[in-house]
Amino acid sequence: MSDRAENTLLVLPGLLLLALAFFVPIAQMLMLSISGENGPTLEHFARFLGDPYYLNVLWRTVRLSLIITIICAALGFPLAYIMAHVGPRTRLWLIVMVILPLMTSVVIRTFGWMVLLSRSGLLPEMLRSMGLVGRSYAIMQTELAIVIGMVQVLLPFMTLSILGVVTRIDTRLEEAARTMGCTFFAAVRTVVLPLAIPGIVAGSLLVFTLSASSFITPNLLGGSRIQVLAASIYRSVTQTLDWPFAAAQAVILFVGVLLILVPYARLARGGRNG
Amino acid sequence: MKATITTAVLGVSALMSSSALAQDQTLTINSFGGAYEAAHRECVITPFEEKTGATVNIVTAYSADAFAQLRAQANAPQFDVIHFSGGQEIVGAKEGLLAPIDPAGLSNAADIYDFAKSNLEGGEGPAYQIAPIGLLYNTETAPQKVASWKDLLDPAFAEHVVLTDISNGYGMLGFLMLNQVQGGDLDNIQPGLDAVTALLENGAIVVNTSPEIQQEFAQNDAWVASYASDYAYTLKKAGLPIAFVQGEEGTPASYITANLVAGRDNTELAMQFIDMEMSADAQACFAEALRYTPTNSKAELSEEAIADVVYGPEAVAGLLRFDPTVIEAKRQEWVDAWNRAIAR
Amino acid sequence: MVRSISPLTRAATIVFVLLTGIFLLAPLIVVVGVSVSESQFIAFPPAGFSLRWYGEVLGSDAYLSAGFLSLQVALLVTVTATVIGGAAAIAIHRRGIPFADLLGTFFLSPLVLPTIIYAIGMLVLWSTLFGAVSMLTLWIGHTVVTLPYVVRTTLAVLSESDPFLEEAAQTMGAGRLQRLWLVVVPQCRPGLIAGAFFAFNISFDEAVLSLFLRKPGMTTLPVQIYGQLEFSPDPSVAAVSTIMIGITIFLILVIDRLLGVQKFASS
Repeated sequence: MSDRAENTLLVLPGLLLLALAFFVPIAQMLMLSISGENGPTLEHFARFLGDPYYLNVLWRTVRLSLIITIICAALGFPLAYIMAHVGPRTRLWLIVMVILPLMTSVVIRTFGWMVLLSRSGLLPEMLRSMGLVGRSYAIMQTELAIVIGMVQVLLPFMTLSILGVVTRIDTRLEEAARTMGCTFFAAVRTVVLPLAIPGIVAGSLLVFTLSASSFITPNLLGGSRIQVLAASIYRSVTQTLDWPFAAAQAVILFVGVLLILVPYARLARGGRNG
Repeated sequence: MKATITTAVLGVSALMSSSALAQDQTLTINSFGGAYEAAHRECVITPFEEKTGATVNIVTAYSADAFAQLRAQANAPQFDVIHFSGGQEIVGAKEGLLAPIDPAGLSNAADIYDFAKSNLEGGEGPAYQIAPIGLLYNTETAPQKVASWKDLLDPAFAEHVVLTDISNGYGMLGFLMLNQVQGGDLDNIQPGLDAVTALLENGAIVVNTSPEIQQEFAQNDAWVASYASDYAYTLKKAGLPIAFVQGEEGTPASYITANLVAGRDNTELAMQFIDMEMSADAQACFAEALRYTPTNSKAELSEEAIADVVYGPEAVAGLLRFDPTVIEAKRQEWVDAWNRAIAR
Repeated sequence: MVRSISPLTRAATIVFVLLTGIFLLAPLIVVVGVSVSESQFIAFPPAGFSLRWYGEVLGSDAYLSAGFLSLQVALLVTVTATVIGGAAAIAIHRRGIPFADLLGTFFLSPLVLPTIIYAIGMLVLWSTLFGAVSMLTLWIGHTVVTLPYVVRTTLAVLSESDPFLEEAAQTMGAGRLQRLWLVVVPQCRPGLIAGAFFAFNISFDEAVLSLFLRKPGMTTLPVQIYGQLEFSPDPSVAAVSTIMIGITIFLILVIDRLLGVQKFASS
């Protein structure tokens, strides 16, 4: 068996699974996006792209996803670095701490946040007693609540992606930099960070796509006054039963995410090899 | 091949169609989970299984999700009886997903109020429960009593009002009522939208689901909300001092319907199930458990239950029903306008 | 390593970890607190102390069978996703097939679209081709949406691995299977484990697909919880969650004992 044959064999099950069990059903749905009463039409796309309300929904989705990704990376990298350098026992507990939010049901987790962030929840109460906010202040149903909730659940993806890579970095490289006079932070910045990029990129890709297509958490934490694209799609499918419009929105989301991710991935990989 | 099997199955079930021989048959229905499903089991499903020997499979799904499912599996529907609380039967019947019902096949049909069985031949199943929509308020913390829909706009309640998004069936009806009270009608919902915008500016909150309403009352000092009487009862049972009052201007009603799914082969059994849901006993049971209003004129309720539901033919006839066909036709437009009005 | 940094940095690190920990765990602590509340509401701080909700959950047929079903599906899905995804990642990493880069992105695609679109599309297709949905449909659906995680995490780890190890093995006469099993797989094991973990979690907590692609009579835990919350919210849902939290911690400890999560970070 040749190399090429072996690799094809390895990738084949995955390829077939995705092609048949994902692309065909999706394609069928997405075909609806150009279906109209009189044959193929772009009216659903025009309806979305020509309406400032929907464009705002799209912009909000992208903006929030970017913010969430950046915060996850900013928190995840130091966390992964620390996890890679502590003893095995501590590392285990840190992993547990980071994974635990994932293991609770999303609805429950969100309810926990609702209790904490609503008008009479712990956090606003604290802020109120410090005199910082008004009587009816609540963090619930704001974009901040969405960011908080999403970062909590997506941080493990970022952290574990980076951890897997950081642990493979030869510690001697860092030591060498320190020996040559670098401060701790400089050594991390110039040695560890560039080598950790594949992990950060992998984590960012995951976190960004998950944020953009996420529905349950933004819907529960942001409320119906703050709409994201996935919520709008869900509504179109189940509430207004406008499947062609839902499909058009899905296509726009798909294209939008790809437009941001593909150059990013290429840039990151190019930067590493350069 | 498939046709031969289907014919054989139909033939065999036709032979065995008398109820006592339904031993190996199963029926698939949807229910709404939680306490509703528990009451559903106790009042209808278990007695049905005992009577007919059939097994009932329950799919827990809300009306909107269940309907989306039904539509997607149109080529191989899995439900036999499907329940809706948001008027989905109108669209379902029109799209041919629901089968017409012959009233002669339902022994309890005669006892059902007329408006609850208005379009059986078209495929829209009969209503077996009504949820009247009115005003809920906290008797201990609200500064004054609530009596009318206009009271929602009273500045005395500002910052303590809870509105429900129109994606929720009850929320839709509450909104249409508010709209009507403000001078609008089904062709013009601007007065309603204006009222909602004003409320939001004064600190009102919009929620999507029932547990959020409970949360607002229990934890966040909400004083008044427009919702259904059955939920008021749930809150009372949970220990909150909530009273339900029908607004002076009128009370819209949400119809909970049982519908026959088209394209299935155990129509006979399904009809028996729907019949049981129409029976006075089953409806009284539901009313006692969850305070839904019966549609069977012969249902007998206890004193406490009567106080919490809309009882008797005159009272029920006085309920408002916004034309569901119009609602379905305009839903898309309204949802769009609503989302724009409440967007931050 | 940690010893050679300044005490200020060390203190800052501890504060950072503590704050992050509080952030990550705060809602969970709330959930545990609510689960022992005596009152029927989901309110925090809890009123009174009572374990009755645990009793209700553990004695409830609905919860137990839902939990069992979710567990079954999650285990099956973890196996298929890890095997299929891991194999694909290896092939892509080796660049042994045309368009390897493109394929890498291709395998990420199930994540990009909201699950509702996939759920409806899958339901329509399956009903048209095969009729009624079953556990098989759910298994396939969950595998599709968890596959990207395995592929991504495995690829990330492989990209840092030493390509010469495999060559060396080949030079020393190792056959294809041996090379794969003894060299490549251990190289990407951390990625496989991370991916498997995600696959398990995602499948277990998956609500949208499970809502649409299930057989009547088959309710998974998330759907059960959502239903319970919608109509009769009481701390029993918090009790279920606390049990799940307990099981996770237990599982991680077990895996650590068996496989050594320390090895996860061995260099």
